[in-house]
Amino acid sequence: MTVIASGTDLIPRMRKRQIAPSVLVDISSFQDDLRYIRQSDQVVRLGALATLTDVLESPVFKDELSILHEAAGLFGAPQVRNVATVGGNVCSATSSEDLIPVFMALGASLKLIGAEGERITPLKEFIVGKRATAMRSSEILAEIQFEYPRERSWTGFEKLGRRNMLFISLVSMALSLSLEKDFAVRSARVALNRVAGRIPDLAEKTEDFLVGRKLSEETIAQAQTVLASELALTSDFRGSATYRTEVAKVFLKRLLQRCYGKIRGLA
Amino acid sequence: MAKRVVTMNVNGTVHSVQVNSPDRLIDVLRDHLGLKSVKEGCGTGDCGICAVLVDGKLVNSCLMLAGQCDGRRAMTLEGLLDDPTMKKLQASFVANSAAQCGFCTPAMLMASWDLARRSNGPSTDEIKIAISGILCRCTGYYQIIDSIRQGCREGEP
Amino acid sequence: MSEQVSLLLESLREKAERGSLLYIGENIARIDSLEKVLGKPVYTSDLIPKGTIYAKLFHSSVPHGKIKGMELGTAKAHPGVLGVLTWRDIPGLNESSAVLPDRQLFAESIVRSTADILGAVVAETLASAADAAARIKVDYESLPAIFDPLESLRPDALRIHPKGNIARQMKIRKGDVQDGFSKSDVILEKTYRTQFQDATPLEPEMGLAIPEDGGIKVIGSMQSPHHTQAAVAKVLKLPPEKVRVIQAVTGGAFGPKSDETPFDVCSTAALAAMKYRRPVFCGLDREDSMVMHTKRHPFVISHKTGVTSDGRLLADESRIVGDTGAYASLGVFVIVRATFHTIGAYEVPNVKADSYLVYTNNTYTGSLRGFGGPQAIFAIESQIEELARKLGMDPLEFRLKNMLVPGKKSATGALMDASCGLPQCVEKVVTSSDYWRKVAQYRNQTGNIRRGLGTALLMHGNSLGPEGNDYGAVHMEIESDGTISVGTGLTEYGTGAVSGMMQVASSVLGVPLARFKLERPDTSKHRESGPTVASRVVVIGGNAAFKAAEQLKNRLVPLAGELLKVRREDIVIADGVVFDRHSPSVSISWDILISEAYRRGIGLREDGFFMAPAAPWDLKTGQGTPYVQYTWGALVVEVEVDTDTGYYNVIGVHAAYDVGKAVNPGGVLGQIYGGTVQGLGYAMMEELLHKDGFVVNPNLADYYIPTSMDIPSEFKAFIVEVPGPLGPFGAKIIAEPPIVLPAPAVRNAVLNATGVSVDDLPVTSEKVLMGAALKRSSPIQGPPRA
Repeated sequence: MTVIASGTDLIPRMRKRQIAPSVLVDISSFQDDLRYIRQSDQVVRLGALATLTDVLESPVFKDELSILHEAAGLFGAPQVRNVATVGGNVCSATSSEDLIPVFMALGASLKLIGAEGERITPLKEFIVGKRATAMRSSEILAEIQFEYPRERSWTGFEKLGRRNMLFISLVSMALSLSLEKDFAVRSARVALNRVAGRIPDLAEKTEDFLVGRKLSEETIAQAQTVLASELALTSDFRGSATYRTEVAKVFLKRLLQRCYGKIRGLA
Repeated sequence: MAKRVVTMNVNGTVHSVQVNSPDRLIDVLRDHLGLKSVKEGCGTGDCGICAVLVDGKLVNSCLMLAGQCDGRRAMTLEGLLDDPTMKKLQASFVANSAAQCGFCTPAMLMASWDLARRSNGPSTDEIKIAISGILCRCTGYYQIIDSIRQGCREGEP
Repeated sequence: MSEQVSLLLESLREKAERGSLLYIGENIARIDSLEKVLGKPVYTSDLIPKGTIYAKLFHSSVPHGKIKGMELGTAKAHPGVLGVLTWRDIPGLNESSAVLPDRQLFAESIVRSTADILGAVVAETLASAADAAARIKVDYESLPAIFDPLESLRPDALRIHPKGNIARQMKIRKGDVQDGFSKSDVILEKTYRTQFQDATPLEPEMGLAIPEDGGIKVIGSMQSPHHTQAAVAKVLKLPPEKVRVIQAVTGGAFGPKSDETPFDVCSTAALAAMKYRRPVFCGLDREDSMVMHTKRHPFVISHKTGVTSDGRLLADESRIVGDTGAYASLGVFVIVRATFHTIGAYEVPNVKADSYLVYTNNTYTGSLRGFGGPQAIFAIESQIEELARKLGMDPLEFRLKNMLVPGKKSATGALMDASCGLPQCVEKVVTSSDYWRKVAQYRNQTGNIRRGLGTALLMHGNSLGPEGNDYGAVHMEIESDGTISVGTGLTEYGTGAVSGMMQVASSVLGVPLARFKLERPDTSKHRESGPTVASRVVVIGGNAAFKAAEQLKNRLVPLAGELLKVRREDIVIADGVVFDRHSPSVSISWDILISEAYRRGIGLREDGFFMAPAAPWDLKTGQGTPYVQYTWGALVVEVEVDTDTGYYNVIGVHAAYDVGKAVNPGGVLGQIYGGTVQGLGYAMMEELLHKDGFVVNPNLADYYIPTSMDIPSEFKAFIVEVPGPLGPFGAKIIAEPPIVLPAPAVRNAVLNATGVSVDDLPVTSEKVLMGAALKRSSPIQGPPRA
């Protein structure tokens, strides 16, 4: 079953004859049920049909969650944002969907609804391969949810491509940093559009390295080395593996410094 | 090839159109309703040349399936020819040489009109963002941006 | 006398003084702006009548091979399909080539690139034609293929065409380079490479053919209706008079629409129309367009340049290799322009150049704005920059020392005269960019964000030059209501040049442009005026329009003199008023003059024709005057580089072009802005990639052209006017030149900001960062001396 919400990903692929679904199930009209952005009881929920423009304009995504404004604003262009959905982003499961690393960094889980009922699954486990998800047949993605960041947390985002707008990211990174009272790292989630292979994922070795450490120039440099060894990127016509790894290292340093600075600044 | 009937409000008039399944909104607008201001530049949503307003939002009409348009409202340049804001923008485009080959012009005007509705006296950055999804190969954008800035200003149309 | 009337009379007196310069230099709205802002249905795909059927081209799926067989049965049986056209269905010549007869319309037995067209599926709808085309199976015997032009140049390389792989060769022999090198203190040898660029007009190529009167009417998106007429007639085996070609309003062109693709789509549509006796639409979607139409030639250019220690250029030897892909197309002239511009806007006493246009099995290349100029100037301007560095001289200072000024000689030995406006262009941009202060300031930068300035100078030979007879024809007639109707085979496709040309006529005649109307170029009505290429509409067409207008005026002035009882020499027409220059209140309106002319049976139709003087040059030495005049230009760009990632933006552009005379300054600026941004795309982000002969990124998601977010926040454009000998009022061409300088200027700015020399386009962030990484691992080099 091929589900269509906005078609911004599906239609170009149909025209290029990469897929030829005989039936399309259109869920775009379920606006009341599936299009919302809410925060309550420390949980943020986005209905799968929330558009990128909804995300960009939502008052929920400020301060510690301003990353969602940033990432949405850098995604596509106005006409695309007006229809592209967060659910579509996630279900496309490719490295060009910037929101996937963002949601991974926020520790998001997905609510899937199907014939057998509802289930919740972590985003990281949902993406199993390029354009491959753990969605069961006759299931749809209904909601993306994550816990509101704890105190002394910040999440940042960086991306780079061939021009300033409307580009496929060569590297995009979302980093969520959470600090203890003494500013040692309590937790870190480092998500990239590609870690090993061609799908978005968390750089877990780098995350593990950071936990418990105090950030300094030295520890950041060491974290970069861990990241470089953890990344197993491929070269393609858009950019080489070497370059992507170098940029990822730069982003790691920038985002660690930025998040750290924000948390310290607010403390 | 499955056929279905789609009922939508286009430029203020309700139309019931019989469409083929793979038809897109752009096909309904151009081929079924004769609204030729809507242009196709790439068919993959990368150039924005097909941009129209659907339910008040700027969208790429090549990326919306006709079947998804039931009950929606669409607006193209043809529906705004008597609108004072649009007329002011059009005059500004002419005065500032902003239309060269003209192929991106309808989309640029739709995006400008949309911006003019939302913002009084938009800045250069706001204008650039509003048209960031519409490619122009002829003008280099400068004269388009000038036209929009002038066309969005308060005062005499 | 009322105030209003005396003001009017004063204004007329003043206008009389301007003579034929009346409307020159005015920002008069283009004649075609209104229909564009109103979204009128005037483009080819807007004109499709009911009952039209669709032809979808299908092309090769191997880069080089023999066609063993084609399985067409499945396609033919597909619902909605009327048939499949192949070479067997061609009654005339199976040929679709712009210059050399090396290319077929539908491949018969050999394909030489993945862009080679095999045939067309004709169906009731585009969707069924496309679906059927996807079901065609072709059996090939794959042949070895060449994708590197340097490989193709080798004597033992496999032959892509029977006559060999070199489609054209050229040379320049000026002075004695060995002698020059022997006297040089510093010699630098470097090689530069440029990429395939796609023109990316927002409207892809398309044609509509309708059977008519035993012949065919073709409406299409194109630059040259008469060439298309000839091509279609040849394929259909019809006399040209039976093939009527009309250029529809065209959504951008930039070159490929003057090469083979319009012939392909129009001939195919016409073939199908004749066969099925129905209107046929044949259009390319974006992907097909990017695979099938001509691209900009990638070049490999090596320079060996000798210079004295005090910075005088003594000798330059270049080898220039252009990849024309599977077919020569306009490459045979691109290589000529590139060769003549091999040392750019500089005087070098000893010049040796050898250039080769070679075939490969990449998709073919041809016309694209600049036409060999961007490639040649990228190479020489980069070389100039490297030489300056090697000498420890400021790059602008080095340029000033060697650039062409009146009295100096070009690579072809042509003497530059007072019409050379290069110094004025340089002065404008140096001042505007605050060059000297910034360069000094940027020498001491710290931190990871670095800024740099880069310069480049332009010399651009005008119009067709050595490519052949350079002429234009414009027909003008005045209708009974006073409307002046203009008809020409020269086409408008966005540049505004046709409007500019009409503005010349308007100025000569003294009647506002609003009273003019332009007929759609139509081979059945308008005589052949040469191709609309080489930016020649205002310069060549403008002269023809000038003549036509003058001839019309000469028919009317005697009548006006008689009606007003004024001497002919004193008759002035301005703003649609016909009056006595000494006493403007003695006047009649244009409309009354025309109706009287009609009443008396005075003929009001004129044909203006202009042919540029021949541009003689010696084939063996490349010496002579291949161009009658040049457009000059100077560009300074400022970049800001994030040296951690190599990502950079162009934050400032300062551009000055000597256009001789700006007929419509707003239009000239439009070309400067638009051409510069297209040139920035070429410099920074555009790259049509081939892998094993397949175009990797024939789409706008992976082929990047600048968006509104990519344009420099500061852009100062200056129009310099130093009249030239060729165009009306001294006008020089402007449509192509602005695309040339951004690539070298950006490359040089990045070099100055980071110390990284990127010698192959585009200058991507990866090349900047990796280049810096390579530099870091080699011995430390100090910055160049001030």
